[in-house]
Amino acid sequence: MSRVVVIGVGLAGLTAANRLAAGGVDVTLLSKGIGGLQLGQGTIDVLGYTPDRVTNPVLTLAAIASSRPEHPYAVIGAAGVHTGIEYLKGLLGAKLLVGDVETNYQLPTAVGAIRPTCLASPSMVAGHVRDGAKFAIVGLRRLKDFHPKLVAENLARSALPDGAQPTRSKRSLFGDPIAEAFAKQTPGHLEVRHLSVDVPARENEIDSSGLTYARAFDDPAFRARFAETLRPLLADGETVGLPAVLGLNDLTAWSDVAEKLGHPVFEIPLPPPSVPGMRLNAALTAKAKAAGVRMVPGSWTVGFRAGNGGILGLSVAAAGAQREFTADTFLLATGGFESGALNLDSHGLVTETVFGLPLAGLDAEPLIHGDYWGAEQPLFRVGVRVGRDMRVLDGAGAVVHDNLYAAGGIIGGSSRWAEKSGDGIALGSAVLAADSILKELS
Amino acid sequence: MTTEGVEFAGHELARASLDACVKCTICETACPVSAVTPLFSGPKFVGPQAERFRNGESVDHSLDYCSSCGACTLACPQGVQIAELNSQARAVMKADHMPLRDQLITRTTLMGMMMTPVAPIANAALRNLPIRTIVEKVIGIHRDAPMPPAQTQTLQGWLKKRKVPMKAPTRGPVVFFHGCAGGYFEVETSRKSIEVLEYLGYEVIVPKQGCCGLAQQSNGLFDQASAAVLKLCDELRGAGKDLTIISSSGSCTGMLKHEAHEIMGVSDDKLKDVGTRIRDMMEFLLDLHDAGELPTDFARIDMTVPYHAPCQLKSQGMGQPAVEVLKLIPGLTVVESGAACCGIAGTYGLKKEKYEVAQAVGKPLFDMVKRTNPDLALCDTETCRWQIEQSSGVKTEHPIWMVHRAYGLS
Repeated sequence: MSRVVVIGVGLAGLTAANRLAAGGVDVTLLSKGIGGLQLGQGTIDVLGYTPDRVTNPVLTLAAIASSRPEHPYAVIGAAGVHTGIEYLKGLLGAKLLVGDVETNYQLPTAVGAIRPTCLASPSMVAGHVRDGAKFAIVGLRRLKDFHPKLVAENLARSALPDGAQPTRSKRSLFGDPIAEAFAKQTPGHLEVRHLSVDVPARENEIDSSGLTYARAFDDPAFRARFAETLRPLLADGETVGLPAVLGLNDLTAWSDVAEKLGHPVFEIPLPPPSVPGMRLNAALTAKAKAAGVRMVPGSWTVGFRAGNGGILGLSVAAAGAQREFTADTFLLATGGFESGALNLDSHGLVTETVFGLPLAGLDAEPLIHGDYWGAEQPLFRVGVRVGRDMRVLDGAGAVVHDNLYAAGGIIGGSSRWAEKSGDGIALGSAVLAADSILKELS
Repeated sequence: MTTEGVEFAGHELARASLDACVKCTICETACPVSAVTPLFSGPKFVGPQAERFRNGESVDHSLDYCSSCGACTLACPQGVQIAELNSQARAVMKADHMPLRDQLITRTTLMGMMMTPVAPIANAALRNLPIRTIVEKVIGIHRDAPMPPAQTQTLQGWLKKRKVPMKAPTRGPVVFFHGCAGGYFEVETSRKSIEVLEYLGYEVIVPKQGCCGLAQQSNGLFDQASAAVLKLCDELRGAGKDLTIISSSGSCTGMLKHEAHEIMGVSDDKLKDVGTRIRDMMEFLLDLHDAGELPTDFARIDMTVPYHAPCQLKSQGMGQPAVEVLKLIPGLTVVESGAACCGIAGTYGLKKEKYEVAQAVGKPLFDMVKRTNPDLALCDTETCRWQIEQSSGVKTEHPIWMVHRAYGLS
């Protein structure tokens, strides 16, 4: 047996498992698959919209924490999020994530919208929109899922989030004095054009995926070929926006491309398979394994055994016979509806699928309204309630099982996708839960 | 059209799972085949996406390039049985035109029976390029594909001749399932497994046993494979009711645990009985350790060794028990390969049209093995060991060899 069983291999589960193992306890990480983090953009959202666009996430979340007691940030707090962010940055390093909890980057998306996010890959931040930037959005003809014209035309007509007073214009984002000077001359305006080049990722393929391109960009020879084709087509002072396929395993591929082009570049995340998401997932998984975490993918939980006020064991449907995992402590990091942690049946009954835990947020009437584009759906706020130590509580505020903690999307009280708060909640609750467990076990 | 063996209940079950596909593409990122060749367009497209349009034989023959390694099924968080769908659709596709080669290479027991008595001649033939070239041309097995070296003694031969263990068992009886390879080619691994079990105090019963039919299953010969697996169940059940069955053949264990049921729809009670009682060797040792019943007075082995968990072992949803067990040996540093598959995937990498693909799949693994320790690698299944050894030049053995050594048995 391990001392801790973590269930779920998303951002919360992986972060908690790493922190627990670093704290010296045996950890088993049970998961259905290999992690949902790689479906994400490879960025860390703390707070993006309230619904107004957020520029300082930690300040705004502190305001939410005090005004909305049901929100996860009310129990996690700004300090908890700060700890989580710093822990992740320390774990992964500046080759994977840059930024700080006091500033949101405003980054172009694959449809040419401008998305606020707290931490981003260093390969993305030259795309932080700022007055007077001159972007060339470059597509690859054989790459599905990236349309440079769509990106460029939408960006060109977008109002810049921070208008005439860009928050980052004084910072040297990529040490390009021309771009800096240009930004100062033409406030509140982006100059964007688009072009495409045809550099096949591999022979005999006309519709490669982003993943195939990312593997090709791992090869310096391919990067040279690509840069040779594109370089003559670029104009002075342009920052080059590219689909986020600049290397899967080689974290220096993007900077090598920039150097070879003689222009700053930025990656724009694509629909899945998301290469920047895969990079984060791979790094966190490798760290967990190196720290001694026992990972058991393919674990579908089918039941549990409770007694003495706690959870004694968790059964999973392994091939052949069921297998029980026992532990001193269990951490539920299974996510929400999207990962099957919560289920809504045809009678409108919502259940937590591993332990059948009591859920908060079910009293909203109706849970789902018919106005698809309208107000937030109350259903998305459904989830478990936790105390400050991240143990799961019932409706009356009492601990449900002495040794059961929760982290991440399973915690109710927020529409994470609309607020862009999911990663901040995951990180804050994961470090708080891990620290509570370490304290409890010591 | 389809044969009786292809008209099975499991097909219905696996097909139903495709509706759980949300097109998230996680399987695409896990597929080792589409990573190296455009000949296979990836598990999402060939699996749940194409399955919706299939009625009878698949019109998309890129399906044949799926190696059924199962990395996609393991990666799927929605429970779609992607590799299983592909195995089934491939069986339907090949039903009317099964290549002779695919019928021959699946007769693993027969190969062992014929090669053992003439081992030196058989081995010389396997090393003979003109012979292998003719075999490639006529039958379609690639000339450089790994072939198991014939042994001069079978496991049953060794069991008959060896000295009966002196120590009386203290823990009761277990049944050992050695598989075809463990009976004829990887005799040493079977021997070491039995000796470790005996050292731990078990009485090891080794019933006469045939093939599990895995190679036939993966080539779409479902009728023969179903008959083989049920016959094997009878043989293993004959050794004793309710006894734990232990095997060092990782992929054959998977056939009994879930593949025969999930892919071919075999739903006989005797398969269920055997499938729920069988444990992989390293899984069994880890279970003992978790229960506090594994002696850990291991001798020190100062070594860094690469370990590759085979795809068909990982798909059993038990993690990588060998890694956990080997961690208990002082001085031993085990480096996980991190590779999804070695490329061989049973018989896939033997075939002349797939040989290059299989080698490309395995290349990162071969490089990692050579880098980590040029003299020894560890891996739980036989064909994978042959593949790694042939392509990296690094001697590759079952992890039980380390345990055997650390207990002072070798």
